[in-house]
Amino acid sequence: MSDQPAASWIVLKFGGTSVSTRAHWDKIAAIARAWRERGKQVLIVVSALSGITDQLKVLTEAHADAPRRAIRDAIVARHESMFAEMQLADRAPLQYWLERLDALVANARAEAGGLPWQAEVLALGEQLSSTLGVTCLNRLNLAAQWLDAREHLHAQPLPNQNAWGRYLSASVPAAPDPVFAQALAARGGLFVTQGFMARNAQGETVILGRGGSDTSASYFGALLKAEKVEIWTDVAGMFSANPRQVPNARLLARLDYEEAQEIATTGAKVLHPRCINPVREARVPLAIRDTNFPELPGTEIGAVAPDAAPSVKAISSRGGITLISMESIGMWQQVGFLADVFEHFKRHGLSIDLVGTSETNVTVSLDPTENLVNSDVLSALCADLAKVCRVKVIAPCAAITLVGRGMRSMLHKLSGVLAEFGAQRVHLISQSSNNLNLTFVVDEVIAADLVPTLHDLLIRAEAMRVEDAAVFGPRWRDLYKKEQSARAESWWIARRAELLALAEARTPCYVYDLATVRARAQALRTISPVDRWFYAIKANAHPALLKEIATQGFGLECVSPGELERAVQVAPEATRLFTPNFAPRAEYAAARAGGVALTLDNLHPFERWGEDFSGHEIFLRLDLGAGRGHHDKVKTGAQSKFGLALDELDEFRRLAHRHGVRIAGLHAHLGSGILDAAHWKDVYVQLASLGEKIGSVRVLNIGGGLGVPARGDEISLDLAALGGALAEVKAAYPQFELWAEPGRYLVADAGVILARVTQTKRKGDTRYVGCDAGMNSLIRPALYEAYHEIVNLTRMYAAPAEPVQVVGPICESGDVLGNNRRLPPTCEGDVLLIAQAGAYGAAMASHYNLREPAGEVIL
Amino acid sequence: MSALLDPRQAQAFRFVRCTYHDGEAQLVYAFDNGSELIERIGFPDAPALPAERKPAFAAALRLLHLIAGVSYYKAGVPNEIAIEGEPLDAGLAQFMDTVYTHGLAEFAYHNKVDLRGRIRFPRHDNATQPPATRVNLPRRTLVPIGGGKDSLVSVEMLKRVNEPMSAVWVGDSALIASCAQRTGLPTLNLKRRLAPELFEYNRLGAYNGHIPVTAINSAILICAAILYGFDAIAFSNEASASAATLEYDGQPVNHQWSKSLDFERGLREYTKSHIAADLDYFSVLRPWSELAVTRAFAHGVQYDGVFSSCNRNFRIRGEKPADRWCGQCPKCHFVFLALAPFVAKPRLLAIFGRNLLDDAALAPGFDALLEYREHKPFECVGEGRESRAAMQALSLRPEWREDALVARFAEEIAPQLGADELALAPLLTPSATHFLPFRLQGLLHAHA
Repeated sequence: MSDQPAASWIVLKFGGTSVSTRAHWDKIAAIARAWRERGKQVLIVVSALSGITDQLKVLTEAHADAPRRAIRDAIVARHESMFAEMQLADRAPLQYWLERLDALVANARAEAGGLPWQAEVLALGEQLSSTLGVTCLNRLNLAAQWLDAREHLHAQPLPNQNAWGRYLSASVPAAPDPVFAQALAARGGLFVTQGFMARNAQGETVILGRGGSDTSASYFGALLKAEKVEIWTDVAGMFSANPRQVPNARLLARLDYEEAQEIATTGAKVLHPRCINPVREARVPLAIRDTNFPELPGTEIGAVAPDAAPSVKAISSRGGITLISMESIGMWQQVGFLADVFEHFKRHGLSIDLVGTSETNVTVSLDPTENLVNSDVLSALCADLAKVCRVKVIAPCAAITLVGRGMRSMLHKLSGVLAEFGAQRVHLISQSSNNLNLTFVVDEVIAADLVPTLHDLLIRAEAMRVEDAAVFGPRWRDLYKKEQSARAESWWIARRAELLALAEARTPCYVYDLATVRARAQALRTISPVDRWFYAIKANAHPALLKEIATQGFGLECVSPGELERAVQVAPEATRLFTPNFAPRAEYAAARAGGVALTLDNLHPFERWGEDFSGHEIFLRLDLGAGRGHHDKVKTGAQSKFGLALDELDEFRRLAHRHGVRIAGLHAHLGSGILDAAHWKDVYVQLASLGEKIGSVRVLNIGGGLGVPARGDEISLDLAALGGALAEVKAAYPQFELWAEPGRYLVADAGVILARVTQTKRKGDTRYVGCDAGMNSLIRPALYEAYHEIVNLTRMYAAPAEPVQVVGPICESGDVLGNNRRLPPTCEGDVLLIAQAGAYGAAMASHYNLREPAGEVIL
Repeated sequence: MSALLDPRQAQAFRFVRCTYHDGEAQLVYAFDNGSELIERIGFPDAPALPAERKPAFAAALRLLHLIAGVSYYKAGVPNEIAIEGEPLDAGLAQFMDTVYTHGLAEFAYHNKVDLRGRIRFPRHDNATQPPATRVNLPRRTLVPIGGGKDSLVSVEMLKRVNEPMSAVWVGDSALIASCAQRTGLPTLNLKRRLAPELFEYNRLGAYNGHIPVTAINSAILICAAILYGFDAIAFSNEASASAATLEYDGQPVNHQWSKSLDFERGLREYTKSHIAADLDYFSVLRPWSELAVTRAFAHGVQYDGVFSSCNRNFRIRGEKPADRWCGQCPKCHFVFLALAPFVAKPRLLAIFGRNLLDDAALAPGFDALLEYREHKPFECVGEGRESRAAMQALSLRPEWREDALVARFAEEIAPQLGADELALAPLLTPSATHFLPFRLQGLLHAHA
């Protein structure tokens, strides 16, 4: 070895969009300059200008001279304009490659379109972009040199690799080469080279295939034994889930090579899985960075950290999976059965991904390749397999994979996750012995909704340990969707002094802010497609709230005679709906006599007391889930006691007709706490298409369930998006009036509980803060595991201390108002505020333990 | 406005008048002396009507007035039909009797209303409609787009013979709009607004049910062709559309009557003889069965992610397959089954987002398509023998035969059927019964 200090290389890779504008090259220059200033040797690997590789591919596939020339002209024009935009002077290097393009287009080999010719054509994109790049950096006073990647990356054919693969999907064995690293360092400190290409033993140009430029960077990183390879792209790194599906996905700050490989293979698109192996072999760290936000640290991929605690790092899903289930009684202990079966897959060119076996069944998964979708290869495969076993094709499926080192040691934390799968059809479960993943193959139709739920459950179960800042970075939406995450400041912050004074007089006590109720009601009224709004008064029937809501133009939806009576007393002018469930016969008659619109959701009233409804109109509550057999998740609707099943609709109409009853409206209610506008659109469309077939229907009531975000990581319901989604349906079905009946949405945020701390305690590792409000005042945490924010109002601005359990005075171990809350050090007599208690709080209070529940005060 | 009366109590249904002004046609009707019911048809960016086409347009508008009246007439089905203004001659009155009687046959079956003898348009023996002349319509075709596979197959067939054409649809449907856009053709979106009183009638308990909507759309397109200048209207109705859904009380009841060859013949003859001699009305797909059309659809993949034949929702465009295909209605079932023999299984499952033939709960729906224990559903679906042949083809295919409903067919239903009832190939040959214009007859050979 030479006694010189070893050269210290940094490999930077920039993708198509990162090299396509002058402004981006300024950023590239700044990044390179910063590394140079720290004394590093820098090698920049570039992709072609965005879109150019696709155009070159079309060129190689064109079967006539004219289209080839047209593409050539477009490519030339693009680079000319880039040359002009970069205000470059030295045209000669660019000219060389443009002439090379001309020569290849005019070449006699073009007509035959052979693989070596194709590879040369495809390589031009990077040769052009790297040439522009060097010229640009030089102009920016960076002494950069152009490096021909093919001089240093030498492809070797893989065993059984066909000619297509050797030329257009080549591989390069890349082990650290200190001599090359030193020699290159001796030539200069900054180079620009091409991604995507290499040279074979015959000296021909070959292409690395998909993800090729990242792979080039990785090869160079290994050859140079670089200090680091940085892949600069348009996203900050790998995330704990696909951010398009899960806006709460966390940036993964640190992964080991195997985890990164697994995540890249099972869904993440940011990095091609191929590019990890070369750096792993050479133990070179690889980072993903966002060109637009260079201040973000991105994702750092390296060797396993010795102190890493097991954690699920990511959840991914891949759709379009086809399962082939092969059943054979002859399989048991039969030598070579699997070999015979797999031979068929090989012969049809199909690559198997997951495998599950039992004594009599082998099930394998196939990824969605173009070949599978657009040719009859599956048919041919099944015909061959059918000779040796019974074949069944199960599709379309999605593979949902949890990735993280030490998966098997986390199984006990996954019970909630497994329970979520329990309601679905799981076709295959796979867990490989490397202990990095756990994969569930389910019907594709459920995957998109399931992934965000599972991501949330993994966090709650602390299987995904997002509090570990070394591993988990910020949420995607905090990085890229800042405007959405802003939530209005809670009203009680500004009125803290007033609330503390109130607490002096009495605790526990509910406090309601009418201005918040009014604001919510007015916000809803801006959703113009909704013709009439009703307030579901079961959420909170306090007279002052009812009056305020009625004043805002809301009708009142009641579910009992008591509620009807309250509605008449407080707001006699408001329209009333009566939507009871399993109510006795007399209640309907009484309500009808009071001129209230009735909703039925069962055949029984018609079958037994149809005459009670003769000559009147009613509303019908449907269970849309029960009839939608394709969607197992919504089938759970059939387990709820509400609504008429769709398959009983014809009978219901027949009975209505027989009794001379008109069905004036259809009603469905989805559930509660829904934060996604698309759900109501779905209900609305379904009701409209059903209503259209029933001539008497004039009203569609899409119910309530508008979500109120409880945790900091939930996004507020986007009322504008909801209005837009409803307007689209309204335009298509203008004949129906649209009604909606929110409850919680109007009042939840308007109410808080003030409670006084009674005692504190430590038992083992757990700290308790006790207060005078318990489950007899607020049962939602115990009943629904509902989350309510809790603050120490007395010491609101003090720093939080260790997490505590906030508990009430009721003799019941479930009397817990909040788990693991980080309150400031809390003392007897402090006032706690329990937020979002306006809905289903006082309404559900009881005298359990003969303890008076919290009173109610209106501000 | 006076309170609406129940149209079922009315004595007469009146065709009051029809007018056209500035891109909007108004079709006015009434029951007895009740409120005027005004339907509006919008022709966006309508050009000024050349003088030579004015008589043709007037005749077309009158035909539209008569046909579109069916939506209102059916609310009461009164004993008398009254025509105000110019009386009808015997030929037109007879044609309208046919359109109403057959077009409302399914309605009559469901509502248990006997239409025989009741539908009689008044005619005047002395009335004579002048014969139509040529009105110099430019050589180009209007192709109505429905959002389903059929019109898209027509478009692709017509593209192959370089037919100049525009994609047209009536009403607001984001789904149809996205299909039309995907064709790459110029588009024309006509508007139609029913008289709002009709919804009121329905709420009052008026008769309601199926109407011959293709007849109404055809008449709207005839007006549009004359107004905008097209010499052909190319619908996409297959041979299967002529088959009756069932017979009731000795009368054939065909859900798709206004898509049948009978209707096509009647309308094209009337158009040529009494509206515009150079306006052709025909169906491109008439020579073919549903199965031949699904096979043609399988050739290209460009519409996979946008089209839908589902009847639950044909208006709202959705990104996910489940938004476009409910999976529960006969149309979903039939299109799935009819595409299955011709499309790679993974592609078909990607289009629908799920495998309808592996869902045992859907057996009754597929039984109806096979006409096994059930009659064919009241929907635009293929003939029973087409469904049976498709199912038989799948039962021979290893990638399909283990699916719940295919296996059930092979075990339970196929053994009860003769081999001649199960053959697929004979269903794919084009028939000679069609009105394809000479310039398009090359399609008959190119398509096979």
